[in-house]
Amino acid sequence: MLNIVRRQLDRNWIFLLACGVVLGGFEVLVCAMVASVDVEGAFGEITKFAPAVFRAMIEQTLMGGSPAAVLAFGWNHPVAHALLTAVAITLAARAIAGEVENGAIELVLAQPVSRTQYFGAHVIFAVCALSAVLAVGVLATAIGQLAFSLSAFGWDRLAALFVNALLLQLAIYGLTLLASAFGREAGRVALIGVMFAVLSFLVNAIATLWDKAAPFKPFSLHSYFDPREVLVEGHLAAGSILVLAAFAAVATALALIRFARRDLP
Amino acid sequence: MNALDVRDVKKQFGAVEALRGVSFSVAPGEVFGYLGPNGAGKTTTLRIVLGLVRQSAGHATLFGIDSTSPRSRADIGFLPGDLRLYGDMTAQATLDFFARFRPARPPVLRSMLLDALNVDAATLARRVKFLSHGTRQKLGLIVAMQHDPALVLLDEPTNGLDPLVQHAFRGLVAEFAARGRSVLFSSHVLSEVEAVCKRVAILRQGEIVALETIEHLRAKVVRKLTVRFRGAVPCGLVESARVTRSEVRGREAVLWLQGDPNAVLRALAAADVEDLVFPEPELEDIFLAYYQPERRDA
Repeated sequence: MLNIVRRQLDRNWIFLLACGVVLGGFEVLVCAMVASVDVEGAFGEITKFAPAVFRAMIEQTLMGGSPAAVLAFGWNHPVAHALLTAVAITLAARAIAGEVENGAIELVLAQPVSRTQYFGAHVIFAVCALSAVLAVGVLATAIGQLAFSLSAFGWDRLAALFVNALLLQLAIYGLTLLASAFGREAGRVALIGVMFAVLSFLVNAIATLWDKAAPFKPFSLHSYFDPREVLVEGHLAAGSILVLAAFAAVATALALIRFARRDLP
Repeated sequence: MNALDVRDVKKQFGAVEALRGVSFSVAPGEVFGYLGPNGAGKTTTLRIVLGLVRQSAGHATLFGIDSTSPRSRADIGFLPGDLRLYGDMTAQATLDFFARFRPARPPVLRSMLLDALNVDAATLARRVKFLSHGTRQKLGLIVAMQHDPALVLLDEPTNGLDPLVQHAFRGLVAEFAARGRSVLFSSHVLSEVEAVCKRVAILRQGEIVALETIEHLRAKVVRKLTVRFRGAVPCGLVESARVTRSEVRGREAVLWLQGDPNAVLRALAAADVEDLVFPEPELEDIFLAYYQPERRDA
């Protein structure tokens, strides 16, 4: 099992490092931006001339544009989501469909290693990889706040954000892994993962801004990830943890069942 | 206990019946040939033995352990027919990666195999994606055999190897068997199976049509001999007991010989032969040998 984890690290470390650096850089940049402008004043001016929908968006997502809320929004920004989701989807698509596509899985599973061990090694690696990239981002937020003399969120809130973001990405990973367990081409599986993640993100965004779409919000995984609530209000809902963890666990378990039964390669 | 036992294994892929009750075994120290044309079901059988493909019926065991258990693969080596390795790894890293799956079985044969197959240090330092097909195949053979397994499963092992390396490889297999190791040698080329195997199973359309020793197989195979004479075709040549069928076109005679060809060769020695073609038998010739009685019955 360790051998497979090590192989994944050899294969993916540059990609993971790049994602971590870009995410960290982005979060520091958000801190720098917040420190360099009068956020509340700027948002006050903008909202005077903005359409009602835009004002509602600022109220909903940025809590009226406080510095802390803008920093929290840095974690709900499409750039942060794209980087973390890219890691989750890439690792899941490569784990089974990618290995079937390049054919190496035949020789690997002809060794004295069970499919459960092989699968477990990929899941363990993905959890570690996502945790590492997320940790870089969270640390970057803390360092950015310190460097630009912004009031710190506190480690407990950053830890809660870490848990919330990790569970969201594991849910996306689990669903993509399920597609991977059925698939033969990493590209197609990744496309399924991306479409699911984008749809989930859009449903949440639209349901947040448009009252008529609000009933659809619980169907979006992204609605269970709320950096503003976690970082600004210091509250991580147990329901969000439960939903994301259950989704990730069920999708991963179904992927394992399918993988254990399918003919390879 | 047999190294490998396959009992009444069937495999259905949707409407396609890939294997129709295949049974055979490989004894310890035996080099067993698994012969059949492309698409006959050889690779599917091997994948079932390795637990990669689930059989629809029947069972396979490796050293008495059910082939679906990873424990059954502890003391085997495998070379896939369509070998795919990680292109981004160096050859050395590839050998180390596969060796690490068996921490209790160090790669004791690696240096001997590297010498025998002429793989040098510069090749080991290169990434697999930059290696030629033949070199990759050599690497696959080393992966399969480096830990000195009790049974090695080779699916079309000489694919892409030049004749010299093929010769070296046959020597390795013979040496391997001489040390009491078992080999399952899957191929569609009769001559290479003939060169290394003691016993052979012939697979056609998912069924074993023959399970014979090489000697019996040779005796049964019908081979085609084409002879062009300087003069007329000698009388009595086509009446030889070993000639099962013949065609005479002018100065040329085509004879289908079964078993020992010496009687015909002696007759030819007395004649004035201009040219002679005696190719190695094709699988189809072997199948004809086995199907002819059925056809006659029908």
